[in-house]
Amino acid sequence: MMFPYLPLAIRNFFTRPSTVQFPKVPVEAKKNYRGWLAYDPEKCVNCGMCIKVCSPSAITRTVEPVEGGEKITYEFNMTSCTFCATCVDFCSTKAIHMTENYHMVSEDPKDLVTVGSRIKETKNKNKKLTCGDACVFCTLCAKNCPEEAITVDRAEKKWEVDHSACVKCGICVEKCPKKCLSFEEPAEEKLTCGDDCVFCTLCAKNCPQDAITVDRAEKKWEVDHSACVKCGICVDKCPKKCLSFQ
Amino acid sequence: MSVLSKIIADSASKSPWIYHINTGSCNGCDIELVAVLTPRYDAERFGFKLTGSPRHADIVVVSGPITTQSEERLKRTLEQVPEPKCVVSLGSCPQSGNVFKGSYSIEGPLEKYVHVDVTVAGCTPKPEAVIEGLYKAAGILKKKREAMKK
Repeated sequence: MMFPYLPLAIRNFFTRPSTVQFPKVPVEAKKNYRGWLAYDPEKCVNCGMCIKVCSPSAITRTVEPVEGGEKITYEFNMTSCTFCATCVDFCSTKAIHMTENYHMVSEDPKDLVTVGSRIKETKNKNKKLTCGDACVFCTLCAKNCPEEAITVDRAEKKWEVDHSACVKCGICVEKCPKKCLSFEEPAEEKLTCGDDCVFCTLCAKNCPQDAITVDRAEKKWEVDHSACVKCGICVDKCPKKCLSFQ
Repeated sequence: MSVLSKIIADSASKSPWIYHINTGSCNGCDIELVAVLTPRYDAERFGFKLTGSPRHADIVVVSGPITTQSEERLKRTLEQVPEPKCVVSLGSCPQSGNVFKGSYSIEGPLEKYVHVDVTVAGCTPKPEAVIEGLYKAAGILKKKREAMKK
């Protein structure tokens, strides 16, 4: 054949160009494209694992004291990120995820950041309403509750409270004839190690806060409760499954 | 202004020429920039054209963290670009150093040497994002040219 590509050339006269008409026709990134990072401060427990695993140190954390607690701010700098998603994999509470937004263009590089902050309350606000043994199931507390958070079953001798509805007004405590209602500090869940421990030090090695110290020679396991953020990484890593929050 | 010089100025504003300098990049961003100029993405639709000499350029695209070896070359290249010029930083590296941050041979960021007009983040940026960045740079260039006339 004299002109081998002639039919193809003629056919191409009647087809559209293969050029992506980008700014006119918006293009969406493919599924699972690793684009602009998204951060949910409500899910974050401030363990700092993402900062530890980030190779270009694109994540910064600032802690400032405010009234009633601490304000914790995480900043993810997109002009420093490699989009490796290691922080997403390591986040134990799934607070970080990648979006499919690739439009990371700006005149000011300071626009290209993801910032999230939350206020971590100091512990004394978490008091819970509890009922003692002297209860006669008189239902006075339930009747006087403005939020109807208490349910009392006289026949079954059951007393229950909805902690999410309770606003801790203290009316029920005043009305109780037996004075058995009280606001108690909930028992703080603390990391404890069981008897099965083989002192493998895996928990200490994986702790993002370095809160655990294990002495293999002395067979000692210790945790610094003030440093522990209860992220649960050590519990997952423990080969003997002897670690727990109690 | 004569009619001829007006025609030249008008057509020059519609065809910004790109000069690309690699200051120690891993080649990822360079490949994406070249992809933008292929028929598939075809940045020449907007008049962008890759030039071989910084003296002909309007837009300078810098990719890579500035290494000690490339620092002097970068400075010399930027000096040769005539005003008005527009500097685009391609990828994460010129702005922060990315994974090379803190290395003994990294001199960056690019902000130390020249004002960066447009930042395209990503590692590497998607070709569409590169087109977006260049398009923005062309707009800035137009404004700079008008400011120079006054």
